[in-house]
Amino acid sequence: MKIQRHGAVLGLVAASALLLGACGSDNNTAAGGSTPASGTSVPVECGGKPKLNAEGSSAQKNAVDAFVQAYKAACPSADLAYNPSGSGAGVKNFNAGLVDFGGSDSALKDGAETEAAAKRCQTNPAWNLPLVFGPVAIGYKVSGVDSLVLDAKTTAAIFSGAVKKWNDPAIKALNSSAALPDKDIAVIYRSDESGTTDNFQKYLTTAGGWTKGDGKQFKGGVGEGKEKSAGVAQAVGSIDGAITYVEWSFAQDNKLSTAKIDAGSGPVELSAESAGKAIDGAKVKGEGNNLVLDLNSIYGTKAAGAYPLLLATYEIVCSKGYDADTAKAVKAFLTVAASTGQAQLAEAGYVPLPKAFQDKILTAVKAIA
Amino acid sequence: MSTLSADPQRLATPPTFQKVGAARRFKNGLATTLVWGSFLVAVVPLVWVLYTVVQRGFPVILDGDWWSKSLSGLLARQQGGGAYHAIYGTLVQGLVCGVISVPIGIMVAIYLVEYGGRSRLSRATTFMVDILTGVPSIVAALFVYTVWITYFGLGRSALAVSLALVLLMVPVVVRTTEEMLKIVPDELREASYALGIPKWKTIVKIVIPTALSGILTGIMLALARVMGETAPVLVLAAYAPFINFNMFDGPMASLPLLMVNERNNPTQAGFERIWGAAITLVLLITLFNLLATVISRALAPKTK
Repeated sequence: MKIQRHGAVLGLVAASALLLGACGSDNNTAAGGSTPASGTSVPVECGGKPKLNAEGSSAQKNAVDAFVQAYKAACPSADLAYNPSGSGAGVKNFNAGLVDFGGSDSALKDGAETEAAAKRCQTNPAWNLPLVFGPVAIGYKVSGVDSLVLDAKTTAAIFSGAVKKWNDPAIKALNSSAALPDKDIAVIYRSDESGTTDNFQKYLTTAGGWTKGDGKQFKGGVGEGKEKSAGVAQAVGSIDGAITYVEWSFAQDNKLSTAKIDAGSGPVELSAESAGKAIDGAKVKGEGNNLVLDLNSIYGTKAAGAYPLLLATYEIVCSKGYDADTAKAVKAFLTVAASTGQAQLAEAGYVPLPKAFQDKILTAVKAIA
Repeated sequence: MSTLSADPQRLATPPTFQKVGAARRFKNGLATTLVWGSFLVAVVPLVWVLYTVVQRGFPVILDGDWWSKSLSGLLARQQGGGAYHAIYGTLVQGLVCGVISVPIGIMVAIYLVEYGGRSRLSRATTFMVDILTGVPSIVAALFVYTVWITYFGLGRSALAVSLALVLLMVPVVVRTTEEMLKIVPDELREASYALGIPKWKTIVKIVIPTALSGILTGIMLALARVMGETAPVLVLAAYAPFINFNMFDGPMASLPLLMVNERNNPTQAGFERIWGAAITLVLLITLFNLLATVISRALAPKTK
């Protein structure tokens, strides 16, 4: 009899589990509110694996979220999970075959990484598709200074501690009309490992004669470290005389002033158009559809009106070697991401792809088999 | 007669210690302070944590969507959606883990108490169980990762999480069941044998029903413990913002994983989801503990 009572309890649990199972829903369109504005519309062939799995760089998380929203709008029964566990984990788990594609702040490195990726794709090469570009803002707060122009050399001097005061002659030379105060510059940097720091230091190395080296840790040796993008942006917002580098969306959210960058042809303000111009001028050093970017061509750009400080993140996909279902779904997702998905990017702090570059990506996506 | 003792309470000789000395009063005060102090040190953070979780999470879980929807297709900063996918994941991973570990745990405990005695195998088993009890959850998770994913080449899945949780749950079930079986009086067994009942029947019909309430409490507590584990889900399951009913394939969310994931989300929506998931997990585990109490009350042996 006691055993029977035990059985009744189990039955109750099972019944409630079934009930719970019956009423769940993935449909959040009503709650989502904003229906994605249609960007460039490209026919999408929905179908294949219903739930894709991807992992990697946290820098493109918000962009991928926007892509997923557009993907679900285009293919109602499809979905994708993106785990922002970092570029390293993304590449590792893609190569181990645990995820359908990886996201990374940098292209696959020649040697072991590329070989492992080829092995995962049944001896076909993996492609690096630069799908998400996030501009990095130089955010500052100096009371009385609304507009600030910097060039890469001066920026490198500030972030390595060579320039210590806001009214330093080097800054004055670029900002003749601004009333620069006699105040110490408080440099704020990312204390955690970050692709933003890496790209910022690479930019300074290419364009500004930075000699401290690159990498995911800040090597400038001055200033105060803060955790994550939100931390540095908040710190600059609360300290008069502070300056930092941070993803554009965080600078916007915290209402920081952003410096214009003078790369040799006049000061350029950070905007979707100016960043798009820099992407337009980017050279691809990969072969065929493997769109590995030559970052120096972006950082070192002298094109008028191009904002050179960008973070490029790649989707790492197999050129061939997926099973048919997965290939179909990956292609559908990437097609949506490169077309209608672009519409919401500016709002999330990214740069929508310029037309020419978008075509290159769509061609590559079409070639996935 | 009444004149002899005006005060019956009066002692024949005055007591040796009429007053409590300063040193004793000081020691008494010190001990009282220490005991109360440690009580406060233990209770204040507990109440504080509970208060914070309830205060920040309660408004979130009042929304009906929280219990019936997933976070699929929402941007990080968009409000709305729910934790259905994570609640399902936590429950199903916990239950599958329970279904695997409870029979194993109970059988091991029965062997140890009823059959093993002081044999070498039984001592080795006890030793192993003791070691397993002390294994940190991340080690269990990495072990399953090595065997399940690296060696056998199977993908990350909710089942792998359940297997890692089994490693954590079995020793707890063995331990509690063993203690419960040990306190079943030998007289009951002997009475049963005296009536000519075989040993296995004695165990099934006499020993286990007598100990059942304690065993069930132990199982529920072990379940509550494994459902809150974070390391195995971090290593062995990828997070999915959508509902995945399939245990064997694909990413599946769970409440701890949802919290870890939303910690990267600096917006108000992320903040609310973290606290909402926290209070949901606390509620689920409270529910299991309550269930344990109710079951053990209902099944407690009649003492009359």
